[in-house]
Amino acid sequence: MENKRPLSPHIQIYRWHISSLVSISHRITGIINIVGITLICIWVSLLVLGDANYSLINQFLNSVLGKFFVIGLVWSFSFQMLSEIRHLLMDMGYGFELQTTRITGLMVIFGSFLLTILIYLIGKNFI
Amino acid sequence: MVQINLPKNSEVTKGKYYQDKTGSKNIRKVNVYRWDPSTEENPRLDTYEVDMDNCPSKVLDILNKIKNEIDPTLAYRRSCAHGVCGSCAMNMGGKNGLACTTPHAEIDGDIDIYPLPHLKVKRDLIGDLDGLYKQYQSIEPWLKNNSTKETTEITQSKEERAKLDGAYECIMCACCSTSCPSYWWNGDKYLGPAVLLQAYRWIIDSRDEEREIRLKKVADELKLYRCHTILNCTNACPKGLNPAKAIAELKKMIATANV
Repeated sequence: MENKRPLSPHIQIYRWHISSLVSISHRITGIINIVGITLICIWVSLLVLGDANYSLINQFLNSVLGKFFVIGLVWSFSFQMLSEIRHLLMDMGYGFELQTTRITGLMVIFGSFLLTILIYLIGKNFI
Repeated sequence: MVQINLPKNSEVTKGKYYQDKTGSKNIRKVNVYRWDPSTEENPRLDTYEVDMDNCPSKVLDILNKIKNEIDPTLAYRRSCAHGVCGSCAMNMGGKNGLACTTPHAEIDGDIDIYPLPHLKVKRDLIGDLDGLYKQYQSIEPWLKNNSTKETTEITQSKEERAKLDGAYECIMCACCSTSCPSYWWNGDKYLGPAVLLQAYRWIIDSRDEEREIRLKKVADELKLYRCHTILNCTNACPKGLNPAKAIAELKKMIATANV
């Protein structure tokens, strides 16, 4: 009897809120950042082994896929930073009112794209 | 453990379709989760065409209408119909709430009604809340005061009493706990928002003398720290309470050793 009982649907049916979306993205970008930063470390370490490696990776980073990788990493880093600030404030007990969580959540989402563009422009010496 | 997919016996199949017989022009489709314990079949999603011209404003009114006029086999909990008892907590339009206080006009398109998420279903919209009640019992939700005689009044200042506002109003409907992904996947260890809000309610009660012991109890890694401020709980609460903030306050008390 006990085991026969089905489990009611959960993530399949639950509607996403801004706060839950930011929370899961925070975790995903955290994992992406660890992998991405590790790859950067490996890249730097490879330089020690000679300039052939450098040109190879340079070629990759200048390809379409490489550019996507770099911009993606910049975005996920920006998102993580802003979301972490939001979490810090929450750990201090601020920003738990529903309206505030929506506003700060949106700030994190839009802010991460703005920050990505800003970092891109700085990197290209446009600013 | 995080488990995204439902077990084999819980996958929802397409159910029966109940066509409208009133000839009304104002029809809404209502999809209701059904499971009959007397059969070996999987749960199914039945669709009812409901005449909205003769239906009051809340989701519970729709369910009553279906049960009274279309399909008497539908099972769901309800009692007060005024948002006080917490019996009719369910998932409507992808969000937990009380059927008696949720207007169906707020739900766009077809109205999907499911039991509270990630519970063992007893029948149709009735989930098994035994686990939650056991956890509630484990925090010993009653006043503990040994220094005062039973006949002596325990006084409390207005300020001290005001601290309980936003915590004592909880009706234990379980909307918040069953909306929490962390509770879905760690419900055996994590106390969940509803129980933690109650734990907080007794910890901040100035009349209670076991504050330290209570705090130490919830400080256990998984009982409290599985909260990742997803805030589904606060979004779901039909009484407008804020369990997430109460959990944050508990974390703060422990972090600042304000025990």
